[in-house]
Amino acid sequence: MSIKQSEMDDLLDSLQERAKELNCFYQLEEVLIRHDLELPELFRHIIAIIPPGWQHPNICQARIIYEDAAYEPAGFKTPVAVLSADITIQEEVKGRVEVSYTESVPAGKDGFFLKEEKRLISTIADRIAGTILYRQLSGGTGIAAEKQKEHPLRDDTEWAAIMDMLLKSDKNLFIHICRKMLHYLYWNGIEEADTLLKQFEVKTTKDELEDCNRPSRKRTMLHLIDLSKEVLKVAQESFDSDRILRNIQKWIQEDKSRFLIRAIDDPNASISEIIDAISRYHTIVQEGFEIAPAMEKGLRVSLIRRFFSDQLEFINIAKQYIDIHDYYYIIKDLIFSPRSHGSLGGKSAGLFLASQIVKKHASAHPVLRDIRTPKTWYITSDTMINFLHYNNLEQVIEQKYKDMDEIIIEYHNIIQIFKNSPFPPEILRRLSVLVDDIGEIPIIVRSSSLLEDRLGAAFSGKYKSLFLPNQGSREQRLDALTDAIAEIYASTFGPDPIEYRKEKGLIDFFEEMGVMIQEVVGKQVGDYFFPAFAGVAFSNNDFRWSPRIKREDGLLRMVPGLGTRAVDRLSDDYPVLVSPGCPELKVSITPDEVIRYSPKCIDVINLKTHTFETVEVPQLLREQGDSYPLISKIISAVKDNHVTGSLSSLNIDFSSDDLVVTFDGIITKTPLVKQIFTLLQLLKREYRTPVDIEFAHDGDHLYLLQCRPQSHSGDLSPTPIPRDIPADKMLFSAQRYVANGTVTNVTHIVYVDPEAYSRAANEDELKRVGRAVSRLNQLLPKRQFILMGPGRWGSRGDIKLGVSVTYSDISNTAALIEIAKKTGNFTPDLSFGTHFFQDLVESSIRYLPLYPDDEQIVFNEAFLLKSRNLLSELIPEFTDLEQTIRVIDVPGQTDGRVLNILMNADLDEAVALFAEPGRIYARTHEKMTSITDISAPDEFWKWRYHMAETIARHLDVERFGVQGCYLFGSTKNATAGPASDIDLLIHFRGTPQQEHDLVNWLEGWSLTLAEMNYLKTGYRTDGLLDVHIITDDDIRNKTSYAVKIGAVTDAAKALPLTRAEA
Amino acid sequence: MNQKAYNPFDTAKAQFDKVAEMLELDNGTRALLRNTMKEYHFNIPVRMDDGTVTVFRGFRVVHNDARGPAKGGIRFHPQETIDTVRALSMWMTWKCAVVDIPLGGAKGGVICDPHHLSSREQEQICRGWMRQLSRDVGPLQDVPAPDVMTNSQHMLWMLDEYETLRNGRYPGVITGKPVGMGGSLGRTEATGYGVMYTVREALKEMNIRPEDTTASFQGFGNVSQYAIRLYQQMGGTAVAASCWDQNDQRSYTFRKSGGIDMEELMPITDKFGAIDRKKAEKLGYEILDGGEWITQDVDILVPAALENEINAETVTSIKDSVKIIAEGANGPTTIEADKVLHERGIFVIPDFLANAGGVTCSYFEQVQCNMNYYWEKDEVLGKLDTKMTAAFIAVSELAKQKNLYMRDAAYVIAIDRVAQACKNRGWA
Repeated sequence: MSIKQSEMDDLLDSLQERAKELNCFYQLEEVLIRHDLELPELFRHIIAIIPPGWQHPNICQARIIYEDAAYEPAGFKTPVAVLSADITIQEEVKGRVEVSYTESVPAGKDGFFLKEEKRLISTIADRIAGTILYRQLSGGTGIAAEKQKEHPLRDDTEWAAIMDMLLKSDKNLFIHICRKMLHYLYWNGIEEADTLLKQFEVKTTKDELEDCNRPSRKRTMLHLIDLSKEVLKVAQESFDSDRILRNIQKWIQEDKSRFLIRAIDDPNASISEIIDAISRYHTIVQEGFEIAPAMEKGLRVSLIRRFFSDQLEFINIAKQYIDIHDYYYIIKDLIFSPRSHGSLGGKSAGLFLASQIVKKHASAHPVLRDIRTPKTWYITSDTMINFLHYNNLEQVIEQKYKDMDEIIIEYHNIIQIFKNSPFPPEILRRLSVLVDDIGEIPIIVRSSSLLEDRLGAAFSGKYKSLFLPNQGSREQRLDALTDAIAEIYASTFGPDPIEYRKEKGLIDFFEEMGVMIQEVVGKQVGDYFFPAFAGVAFSNNDFRWSPRIKREDGLLRMVPGLGTRAVDRLSDDYPVLVSPGCPELKVSITPDEVIRYSPKCIDVINLKTHTFETVEVPQLLREQGDSYPLISKIISAVKDNHVTGSLSSLNIDFSSDDLVVTFDGIITKTPLVKQIFTLLQLLKREYRTPVDIEFAHDGDHLYLLQCRPQSHSGDLSPTPIPRDIPADKMLFSAQRYVANGTVTNVTHIVYVDPEAYSRAANEDELKRVGRAVSRLNQLLPKRQFILMGPGRWGSRGDIKLGVSVTYSDISNTAALIEIAKKTGNFTPDLSFGTHFFQDLVESSIRYLPLYPDDEQIVFNEAFLLKSRNLLSELIPEFTDLEQTIRVIDVPGQTDGRVLNILMNADLDEAVALFAEPGRIYARTHEKMTSITDISAPDEFWKWRYHMAETIARHLDVERFGVQGCYLFGSTKNATAGPASDIDLLIHFRGTPQQEHDLVNWLEGWSLTLAEMNYLKTGYRTDGLLDVHIITDDDIRNKTSYAVKIGAVTDAAKALPLTRAEA
Repeated sequence: MNQKAYNPFDTAKAQFDKVAEMLELDNGTRALLRNTMKEYHFNIPVRMDDGTVTVFRGFRVVHNDARGPAKGGIRFHPQETIDTVRALSMWMTWKCAVVDIPLGGAKGGVICDPHHLSSREQEQICRGWMRQLSRDVGPLQDVPAPDVMTNSQHMLWMLDEYETLRNGRYPGVITGKPVGMGGSLGRTEATGYGVMYTVREALKEMNIRPEDTTASFQGFGNVSQYAIRLYQQMGGTAVAASCWDQNDQRSYTFRKSGGIDMEELMPITDKFGAIDRKKAEKLGYEILDGGEWITQDVDILVPAALENEINAETVTSIKDSVKIIAEGANGPTTIEADKVLHERGIFVIPDFLANAGGVTCSYFEQVQCNMNYYWEKDEVLGKLDTKMTAAFIAVSELAKQKNLYMRDAAYVIAIDRVAQACKNRGWA
């Protein structure tokens, strides 16, 4: 460390101590003026105020001995080092103030206590003595005389006492406050202030008070002090003492936070510097210090930027919920390299924000009070870069620009290299401390990249999360931990996330990877460790099993044990589904369904073998049922085809009873569903977007594990619905109970004609339809055909109103479509896939109900009935059903096109349309712009960008008085979606008439673009442009949106204008 | 609606007409039995969870109760039609008659889809149904039971409503209750055992010792499992059973020529009768295609799971060794395949005789409830044996005497018994 650096550090330390002292003084002063307190009470207050003002407040204690009585705090310990000052009243020692440390501390150059502290204690003793004297003499004229002796300003007001003390202890602050007072006087039109101000200016130009070291200022100090005293005199004459006191207090307060602002607002400050500042802040806050609200907000935003995210949407929410002192608790659990400038990453940010929101709203929602988050440690994002540098692995960053094939092949090598590379020693040291801290409790190591869980791109499941049993010797545990972190780092360079980033236009973003280390929520049961249950929940229910369930009722997927089985969709097992807003409507109704769709397996951590295992539920219950937390509320007993949910642990025989997981007791007897629903609603409201959360319950408490904007993994995102499709390119449209998703590349349609089906002569014929569908399911290309049929697919018993099939008969279809066609004036009910609902969900088979008789609905029956029927060629034995079942080869009938189904739950609309293979839909306006196909995900911003450039090019700068045109927001950041607007910043320098014309001209564009966007995506907006007009003044004063121009982060981008030749 | 459209009641009437012709029933009896005795159609208003009121439509149809109190299930079905309910009530009359239990036939239901109803709403429907009918159902009048989409829980709600209205305990008003709440022991075994009692009697008539026979089973659910157990107790060798594999989305036949061992298979079988393929392979079972159960070189075939398993296509692969087919499932044989079996002279024990063990056990539940005295399982199964054996012998005797196909003989005996009862009462 350079000498300069160490000097700086010393200075910082002493500044810190100064703030403590001042605070101590200030509080002392507040107590001393309380005439209502008897002396013993007064002393007790004072001994509480003193310790925080000392260098080691945690082990510091104070006591006052007065007239042979000792006033000391409860639990006063034998001191190791003592500093004391006598209380001398009228030249007689009446007692003393003692400050002591209870443990030994390193001695500095002045001994155990600082020079300042020695001065401080004698000041305290003096002030106490003065107060006692004052009280003794109270009522007499002697007080004033006594006071005058003490105070050079000869004033008995409180503010004078404070300023006097400042003058003694911190001359800089004294002068600083006086300057403020001078400005204040000047603003208030006090004449004398003008002259004083000039003197101040002259004397201080050379020695900038703020930045100078103290010794070099000595020369002018005396003069400045004199000037300052003049200022105070003027103030005293001009204002009443109350006003002066209020202002002085405010300025002193503001001064206290300067160190924090300096550290936080300095872009070069390292994490450790910020941490120091926060710790200091935390200490002074505990002492009752308050910061000005505006300044506090500013600091909050700066800290959010530093630690969490620079995404404006995030900051907007987070600034209301994350206080400065919250960071005090984060930094305790932060692992970083000394010069780190990194942040915590998206996942950590999301969870922390959510937990803050929950905490703040717990008073209004009692069910939220009990919700916790697991103990979490964070590794800053740039630690990964540090790791790469340390191992000379920088070249790996360019991996993302390679071909996908190469990326896939090399990924495995990267994992191995990373796992075999050592961590930088300082990180390793901190991790090893961490391993000791945690002990042998299982942990999960999760990625928290900068891009993850952001609003707009959730990266769900793209990076890794690794469970660690965390058992064994310290070395073993540390090895496992570093191994896991290395693997998470390596996952940044895996094919999946790179692909995803390419799709989202985020490939050039410099991706750093934060890491979150969490205690696994759970209990030990036998050799296993797992939570009683866990799961995920979504604000929006995109898999509704009944028309009575609203989308906003949400969706909850629950499994026993670790939540892994609820997060992923499983092929051979089922989570329990609940709609939290409507928990009474269950998916499984009959005992048969309840049993079939109950979770059969449970994921656990085996503490004995140190592995992550999947165990069968019945086996676990037989072995450990009695010690499984909450088990009587998780399972139901099946007996004689009767499912009993109301169990008590006393009436379950784990060895012989037939038990299934239903969560019946959890749903009906615990507040869980209400907790989850309240949580989803609250977070959705605060995030201003639907969210998804992960949770776990250890039997005692509900833990929130993750929160992020509701993601739409791959094929489950709302698909834009184009409006300009000619009817002949469409097969059908739908406007009721539509889920999200896209089904592309459908080559075959199996259409069971509702009319022909209802005409079937006998039951046998109806059953044969089901068997024919089953055969087609085996023959047609998997997930490339769709099934369309009347009423209720999977009908049992009365099969007249729906084809009798089981899940295996339809398992390969891409979509299951039920047609509710009116017969007479009766529209049949649809099943919503209830007969095999969970199978559809787990295998991503889309379900869609069609109501062809609704108004404004397209149903191209002619295509379905007139296209060539392949049935007899595919399954000749069912040729007799040709009138009822029609198998259509889509490319064969449409010149090589395929069928795509676009579904959008936001709009509650869906369309099926024919398009060239690989395209979402057919182009119709070839010449509209060079980029027409705005339906593809990354085309939204490209098209908007292109249109913004076009507008700028056509903007007549002379006519409208325009100086510049800038683009910012989602279009500039390449994150625009189908409903985003285009944020334009126009630098205007013209007449009001010109402004009027300009606004009109842009309004025309805005409406036109909105219409184009509507035709392409189905999203209706009032206008697509969001125009902000700024003037020269705005730019000069950095007001309004002008700050975006030339901003350090997220600056607006200038668009080229066409200017007339000069 | 189109006249040609499939109507289950028309089918049921046509079937009756055919047998009525054989029995040369007079017009009065035909008119009586072609139609239902009484029907109730009524509204069930339910206050839904959201505070609104929805009115559900309920039915009860008694086809005939000449032989005793009517018996039949209550279905919750979203698109129930009255003709379906009528047809099913008629089938119940014949089914009770063929095993000679003193009960008539009925069916009922509510138009609703329990998938879209909360538990409380379903309870209100059940109670509402019973409130409307409490004067017309009862242990000595008409006894409901669970059916499509209803289960023991629904029965208990209905029972409770009835008992509240009637101010007493009448467990015999409804069947399908859990053991301890008026249910009968032996229910799980009843159908499978029933099938095998009839097989035993058939073998006896053919003079074949069960010990000398082999059998193959389609399905491995409740029916098959208990049929196999009883068959093995009789000394027979079950060489194969098929079942559905949920993971592979296809079925397999598990074969062991020395005989499959229930003790080793049950622990690797789930609640739906699916055998774990890999574990079975380790235990030395041959894993064949699901359809292979029918091609086995055995004496007895027991289709006990799905409809239409024996159809025009599969019937040809039935080996010459097969002497008996016992229909444990409902409608396992298609009309075309039935003709082939008839021609080949294979002895078919028709479904509504072979699987009547279930309804017989329901009757026993009723009997036990009415005397408020519950039998041990052995007693239930013993009485079941007696009933099934007697029923089989009656049908088989008739078939022999009148040279009828077994299926026709079963219908003839059932309809004749009902017709006689009506006549004796002076109804026709």
